[in-house]
Amino acid sequence: MKRIKNGFSGLTVIKVLIYIFFGLFMLLPLFSVFIVSFTGQPTNLLGALTDSTIFNSTLEKLKGISLESYKKVFSNSGYLTALKNSLLLAFLVMIIVILVCIPLAYGIARTKMPFKKTISALCMIPLIVPTFISAYAFIIMFGRAGWVTQIYNALGGEGMLLNPYSMAGVVVVQVFFFFPYALWPLVAAFKVSDISLEEASLNLGAKSWFTFVFVTFPLALPGVISSALLIFTVSFSDFGTPIVLAPKELNLLVVEAYREISGFFNWGGAAILTVVMVIVAAFFFYLQHLFTKGKNYGSVSGKPKQQKLVENKLVNRSLSLYSLLIVLVPLLAMLSVALQSVATTWGKDLLPSGYTLNHYKTIFSTSMGNIQNSIMLATGALVLSVIIATFVSYFVVRQNSAKLDFMTSIPLVVPGIAFGIALIQTFNTAPLQLTGTALLLIIAYTIRRLPYMVRSTMGSMRAIKQDIEEAAINLGATPLTAAITIVGPLMLPGIAAGSVLVFVTVIKETSISVLLAPPEWAPMSLAIFQNILRAEYYSAAAMSVVLVVLVLALQGIANLLSRKQQLK
Amino acid sequence: MGSVKIQNMTKTFGDFTALHDINLDIKEGEFFALLGPSGCGKTTTMRCVAGFENPTSGSIYIGDREVENVPANKRNCGMVFQSYALFPHMDVFDNVAYSLNIKHLNASNPIKRLSIFGRLLSKRLGKYPDDIRNKVMEILEYVELDQHANRLTSELSGGQQQRVALARALVMEPAVLLMDEPLSNLDQKLRHSMRNTIRTIQQDLGITTIFVTHDQEEAMSMADRVAVMDKGHIVQIGTPTDLYSNPQTPFIANFVGTSNILKGTVAAEENGMTVMKGEGFQLKSSNKAKNKDVDIIIRPEHVRVEPADSVIDPLQTNVIEGEVIMSTYLGSIVRYDVQVGSYQLIVDTTYSSGANIFQEGKKVKLTVDHERVLLI
Repeated sequence: MKRIKNGFSGLTVIKVLIYIFFGLFMLLPLFSVFIVSFTGQPTNLLGALTDSTIFNSTLEKLKGISLESYKKVFSNSGYLTALKNSLLLAFLVMIIVILVCIPLAYGIARTKMPFKKTISALCMIPLIVPTFISAYAFIIMFGRAGWVTQIYNALGGEGMLLNPYSMAGVVVVQVFFFFPYALWPLVAAFKVSDISLEEASLNLGAKSWFTFVFVTFPLALPGVISSALLIFTVSFSDFGTPIVLAPKELNLLVVEAYREISGFFNWGGAAILTVVMVIVAAFFFYLQHLFTKGKNYGSVSGKPKQQKLVENKLVNRSLSLYSLLIVLVPLLAMLSVALQSVATTWGKDLLPSGYTLNHYKTIFSTSMGNIQNSIMLATGALVLSVIIATFVSYFVVRQNSAKLDFMTSIPLVVPGIAFGIALIQTFNTAPLQLTGTALLLIIAYTIRRLPYMVRSTMGSMRAIKQDIEEAAINLGATPLTAAITIVGPLMLPGIAAGSVLVFVTVIKETSISVLLAPPEWAPMSLAIFQNILRAEYYSAAAMSVVLVVLVLALQGIANLLSRKQQLK
Repeated sequence: MGSVKIQNMTKTFGDFTALHDINLDIKEGEFFALLGPSGCGKTTTMRCVAGFENPTSGSIYIGDREVENVPANKRNCGMVFQSYALFPHMDVFDNVAYSLNIKHLNASNPIKRLSIFGRLLSKRLGKYPDDIRNKVMEILEYVELDQHANRLTSELSGGQQQRVALARALVMEPAVLLMDEPLSNLDQKLRHSMRNTIRTIQQDLGITTIFVTHDQEEAMSMADRVAVMDKGHIVQIGTPTDLYSNPQTPFIANFVGTSNILKGTVAAEENGMTVMKGEGFQLKSSNKAKNKDVDIIIRPEHVRVEPADSVIDPLQTNVIEGEVIMSTYLGSIVRYDVQVGSYQLIVDTTYSSGANIFQEGKKVKLTVDHERVLLI
């Protein structure tokens, strides 16, 4: 609908700028990686537009396009096993997470199990911790000198209970740290499925367990499948766990791509791996999208449904015990990191041989810069994404700009490593040599986390009725002034909520930081990562604690803010 | 202050034509109502005047100015929205002061602008100059809301919110006041008193007002003139009494007040009377018929009910025989449904206490004066 013909010029300029931003920093890199995957050599598409010699050489390269490099890659058994392993990993994690989550979700959604609140709160832990820290925490617990291993040996076990440096190790870490992604959708699924059907089943004489298997579970099935696919994508794209835990002989796509780029500068190979990653992730994301869609329209209605909670003591107690065991593992993992951060040495015995705050001293004297970098980079990404997300949601909600809507959801399907490789490849030469600058890092963070922000701002944008804006215009304000004075303030709650999410995820971000951060801009996540690789475990632990505390504090502030908003 | 003139305006949305060749001439200071059922195009017409929609063709003049190229924010039309559209994050005072702030904003240097933006975002960030403060308080006093200046709009009752919306539109001294179904969100009692308030304020300020409504009672009781719209066309424009006594189409006869509409054919013209015949009745009217086939309009209150055995001179008035199907006692009036031929006529008679109410199934004679039989 064409509305106000005049006075939109300011907004139109902004819309064009946003398109340019996405085109330049997202579509172009992804496209050129696609090209490189065929040519096998780095291609400078931007340069080709500005410089005739580059243009000609690019043409030359494009003439050499063939499936040759794909053939070569797929005859290279290493890449193929990497793909197989990555798919297997994601599949295993998906299945186990769902199996683990179903009783947990049922307990939270449908029973009066004891400690429900505590369990729900503890389920948040995995979400705040970057995966490479969780992976490292598992080394502290299950490694050769880990305390779990020691207890296991003391009880008469041989060797390690679980070798963290293995496929099994990666699977277990991802299961325990990704399960909340599936848990909350599953809880929702159990909550919305129609309880009267279950009562009907009981009324017809079915036993409780029979009802669960044949009525409750099938009703929640769309939710289950959708969460399963989500877990698949998350596990497939995860970089932090495999890079810390995967042994040399275990090839995984993300690790392989990272090594190709940072070790061998093999652009062709990295590009092909990137394309494969994006395709797999996009495919599963698309499948998941299909399921969520059906679910949302199918079973959520405005009519409040009476939920009768299970009161059977035996069921509740065993569910509660089981749930506590599940959430205990991430908690113990984090406590282990905290304990290591104050230990002088730990590994010979069950407990550290002494306690010290020296590691924190070291951090605050030598690594203060990393903390500052993290905060500055996250702030930069935050400011940029607030601005972009606000206008994007304006265009999507008010002008039905479906194209922008689609564009801002693309980052969801691109694994961090893949996106990082695409950016490096595109911006490492003139005319826009941005690789190695803080700017590109901030842009990368922004694009990667923009979907969260947009989702949040779009929600509050939808809640603002069009006529409020029209009233402002009617009273003499230009559309831009109306946006600043009326729409902006009304969107604040949504912006605040999205901001915290962006800030927290940027501080946690690993793959982009590892690939793109120049030494002088190394954020905390990169510093911890390097410490772990250098086996400087104690300072890594201390830094991890600082990071988690920072994230927790921010989350706390956000909760406080949103509660205040609600009271108003 | 200004007149509003709309010439040959059409508006299409894709394949759908919302407005067909609209022509309106609204005089300065006039209270003009756009009346019609939902979807008739009345709101679209108003939104075109406000500048929220662009007419597909035709032109709109506010005062002497052609406004096609004037954006909505420069048209100086105060609008009261159906939902009031009050700014929920501002208190009453800030809501009303908004347009004055914007005026200052457009007339200031960049540094002053910052402080105006400041006070638009939060009161703590900027102080209001006295002239704005006085003007806002003056208008709030006028709508009796000065006690509530610092309340959030969500804490006000519906009627108070309505008055804030009105004050917010009036404070900018608009050339035209536009009101889009402003009373539809109020309860019955409040609606009546707000009608009087709005009418009084409009008369008091002499402000040209366009009032959109689907409620004919509202339009008839408040407006100087009414344009009845149907399916994107203007069907008739006139004063309320004009519309009521001379409806030009059956649609208007039915929409403006209640009507009995009978199909008839002209049988003869004698002594200045038109004689019509239809299914089960014969009627004479002192009005002229334009065609041979006519719609005969009779208002319920113009019919009297007499016992079947009463003697009435058929030269003085029309006499129709019928049978009472239902009688409904409505307090001051009694409404009868009377079967006449294939028609059920509605008849309203004033009820004085002690009088007889004709029971269902009773044969009666209906009388209608010749000049009360309208022909379309």
